[in-house]
Amino acid sequence: MGGFSDPTVSRRAMLGLGLGAAAAGVAGCSRFGGGGSTSADGSTTLNMIWWGDSERAKSTEAMLDVFKKKNSGINIKTEYQDSGPYKDKMATRFASGDVPDLCNQRRDSIREYADRSALLDLNQHLDVLNTKDIPDSVRKIGQVQDSMYGIPAGLNAVGFVINKELAEKYGVEIPDGNTWSWDDLWSFSRKITKASGKKVYGTDVDFATIQNLVVFVRQTGEELYNEDGTFGASEKTLTDWFSMSVSERKTGGLSPAGFLDASGSSADQDGLTKKVLASQIIPTNNLKAESESVGTELQLNRIPGETQGARRGMSIDTSMYWSIAAKSKHVDDSLKLLDFIVNDVEGNRAVGPTRGVPMSSKVADAIYPDLGPEDKASIDYIKGLSKETLPESRPDPVGGSAVQDACTSIATEVMFGRMKPADAAKKLISKANEALGKK
Amino acid sequence: MTDSAHAETADAPAARASAAVPGRRRRRHLIDWSAYVFLVPWFVGMLFTVIPFGASLVLAFTDYDLLNPPKFIGMQNFTEILHDERVHKSLVVTFIYCLVSVPTSLAAALGVALMLNRGLRGLPIYRAIYYLPSLLGSSVAVVMLWRQVFSTQGIVNTALAWFGIQGPSWTSDPHTALSVLILLHIWTFGAPMVIFLAALRQVPTMYYEAAAVDGASRWRQFRSITLPMISPIIFFNLVLATIGAMQSFTQSFVMSNGTGGPADSTLFYNLYLYIQGFSRFHMGYASALAWVLLLIIAALTAINFLAQRYWVFYEN
Repeated sequence: MGGFSDPTVSRRAMLGLGLGAAAAGVAGCSRFGGGGSTSADGSTTLNMIWWGDSERAKSTEAMLDVFKKKNSGINIKTEYQDSGPYKDKMATRFASGDVPDLCNQRRDSIREYADRSALLDLNQHLDVLNTKDIPDSVRKIGQVQDSMYGIPAGLNAVGFVINKELAEKYGVEIPDGNTWSWDDLWSFSRKITKASGKKVYGTDVDFATIQNLVVFVRQTGEELYNEDGTFGASEKTLTDWFSMSVSERKTGGLSPAGFLDASGSSADQDGLTKKVLASQIIPTNNLKAESESVGTELQLNRIPGETQGARRGMSIDTSMYWSIAAKSKHVDDSLKLLDFIVNDVEGNRAVGPTRGVPMSSKVADAIYPDLGPEDKASIDYIKGLSKETLPESRPDPVGGSAVQDACTSIATEVMFGRMKPADAAKKLISKANEALGKK
Repeated sequence: MTDSAHAETADAPAARASAAVPGRRRRRHLIDWSAYVFLVPWFVGMLFTVIPFGASLVLAFTDYDLLNPPKFIGMQNFTEILHDERVHKSLVVTFIYCLVSVPTSLAAALGVALMLNRGLRGLPIYRAIYYLPSLLGSSVAVVMLWRQVFSTQGIVNTALAWFGIQGPSWTSDPHTALSVLILLHIWTFGAPMVIFLAALRQVPTMYYEAAAVDGASRWRQFRSITLPMISPIIFFNLVLATIGAMQSFTQSFVMSNGTGGPADSTLFYNLYLYIQGFSRFHMGYASALAWVLLLIIAALTAINFLAQRYWVFYEN
């Protein structure tokens, strides 16, 4: 960036920020005036936004084609992008009053919208939206007290995938993926690292990702977020978590600090795809995309430590929610579309489980026979889990995204040896209390 | 909400009035109207600047989450800024960035300008080559490219590997990430260079001829003639570059995926402002941050202007 051209660019950026604020002010004025859920006579156009890649875009459009065939008069304008920019886009769309009708919501920020009454309480519209076939445990994932601000867009869990080909190549036996302990993982990983002469590392765990931390915290009997929205992990548990990040880097159980670029996290850029890692944690709905980009069979295992801990750590979750904006001008049609996404077999067959296992068990059973082996494997995995007693899954409390940011920063400090695990634990607790306590 | 609405209605007539007054005064000279016709886009542009400015000033004193009406909270945002650890961190990052990259990039710009000023053949081509990066430097595509170049398996590490050096992951390591951004900034010295080049050509050759007759060395000529003669331009570039560096945003936003990471090591002040406003929904707080930045930049610029007395030479 040139010193000279710089001010213009930045001023424009500043102007953009200012404009956003001004637009928000303007929108605020008209907020309580109009905004009824009038559906136009003739045709309506719904705006549906979501995040994902181009593959998901293709299958989503296929699903919407089925919907449009069945509902002439409703057009759908879709927009999608990667999850990072999506977050920013959502914020600006809602702030400017230009709300989407149907949108994906992240679990760490759904309450930040819901608690500010930006999302429709779906429980008030169960006459249009049929949730009969959604099991109660699943419905709870989107429930805040008596209201439901989002329906899980698909069920998933975190899973530990192992590249079988690499394990065989280096002659390392894969432990039993249902009962393995954290120590089993590290010894498996060290063996791969050693056998490959550090060309391939056995694994890398992202200590910054809340979804991973949650499992570990639950295994100790604690909760990361208590039901009342406070932070529940103890200093000891967090110290243990960050200690693994330090000690296993020395033994070769984990790849060295900075070995993986923090930036490229999508399936086609991660360590598994580059074949510099033999195993990794992924969300199960990504199994198909991940297998395709790695190009070999991945064995899907549970997270280590599930049978050794005080209780189970894994839970059935959702990768994202479908929500309707409270200010949507086409609430009825949006509900119709949402009902279609939840309950229509043909539509779900077209889209497949790219967002996870369909929430309606009836739909999930109906589409299962036509799926490919990876999708079948991830559905079987979730089904297996659903028969067990697992911790409940809830939307993260308000401030969850700030906790995630703090955790990312702290985990990096630990990885690069700039902070001791015990100090990191203290720091995360104080940062989390601050984020969850205020605003 | 009502507050910001007031701000808009208060500001809009003010802007319109200032536009109207000079117009009325010159109504006798009909031909002058054409100037105002040409200025219309500017006035329209001004509206888009003045209104958000006013709105953000009002919002700075509110708790505003973008979705609900703002609540007036007095100076609370500003007292919070004083105690916000990440504000301090971002200021440190921004100042380091500014202090290192501004002098180095200006020195590089001046150095290259001096080289190009020696009557090279094909000067326009060289000028264009050196100027190009500054057009691209803040663009998203170049930062993406930069990120690839400095990644673990990027070109830089591949080159280092030839010499048996195992390079770090430059952009993921909190020790090195900011240096990569500073390097990117220095690389884009083209814009000040072009200005320096123009300034160098303005220096009358007679001074050099006279100095040469007196037996002054090249270095002596540079110190005693070139530097004083172009010092106003150095000052100009310095002020602009400082303001620009303090407002940096794109590089870190793209490089760190909007997080300012690794471990806040590239958390520019402007990026933190953005995070507060658009990821945390603390738009009131973000507005306060913007005004604090304005004050900081104003102070830096004032210091620059005060200091110039001691080193800038005006011929007239």
